[in-house]
Amino acid sequence: MLRQIFSQAKKHPSLIPLFIFIGAGGTGAALYVLPLALFNPDVNCDRKNNPERWNKLGPNDQYKFYSVNVNYSKLKKEGPDF
Amino acid sequence: MAYPFQLGFQDATSPIMEELLHFHDHTLMIVFLISSLVLYIISLMLTTKLTHTSTMDAQEVETIWTILPAIILILIALPSLRILYMMDEINSPSLTVKTMGHQWYWSYEYTDYEDLSFDSYMIPTQELKPGELRLLEVDNRVVLPMEVTVRMLISSEDVLHSWAVPSLGLKTDAIPGRLNQTTLMGTRPGLYYGQCSEICGSNHSFMPIVLELVPLPYFEKWSVSML
Repeated sequence: MLRQIFSQAKKHPSLIPLFIFIGAGGTGAALYVLPLALFNPDVNCDRKNNPERWNKLGPNDQYKFYSVNVNYSKLKKEGPDF
Repeated sequence: MAYPFQLGFQDATSPIMEELLHFHDHTLMIVFLISSLVLYIISLMLTTKLTHTSTMDAQEVETIWTILPAIILILIALPSLRILYMMDEINSPSLTVKTMGHQWYWSYEYTDYEDLSFDSYMIPTQELKPGELRLLEVDNRVVLPMEVTVRMLISSEDVLHSWAVPSLGLKTDAIPGRLNQTTLMGTRPGLYYGQCSEICGSNHSFMPIVLELVPLPYFEKWSVSML
């Protein structure tokens, strides 16, 4: 696949930006989805050792991809431990 | 509220709606620029006597019209995602109001301190007083303190409804058996109108929502008078 990309790019150099953007888009999508599948607390990977990950959320962790205004590391924990 | 021959959005009453208005202006400007450029080029192509019938190789212009649209799309996507994440933020509401959709009225419950609940029916057209808005006024408005973050918990007692107030940028479905949450922050006092936004039967168009945002002392006086 990569050899085909290079041979086409040499014949038609105007295709290079296209490959760059498609490559960046695909890599970006993979880089977003992979950590989401592994580290998102809504996902249950290990049913025996870590069954309900969504019940163990800390107040200072940021679980979302991007935070606009709220600085999660500065928040205080509101409820009691259980 | 909405007015006849309105073309754009209603004036923003919450910070999120202001962001959405600016984003809409930005994206619509891009759309207008691209459409007018395309229309101009089409008009040029239809009004020329020049012809060229052999295959053309145009590497440079192809590069330009690959990179430029990609950049434009990124310039649209980044503000859009920023607003999307901003709408989801944790912002410590000071007040919680519950609203249940019924066929065909809304009921509101302010149960943080006392048990205050009431129904909100539309005022029929025959009973409107002069100056009131047809199909938008209700008998009991939702009075809320302004400049206070309010948590709205929305559900339904029968069929699907949707609780919407356009000038605050709010629209949340009221689903039976499900509790949906949205946060509300009104920046100025006034009356803000919305209508049920999910088809729910014969009187779906006749169950509006009216928010009355007032300073906190007035809100406290009102809630005491409603108990």
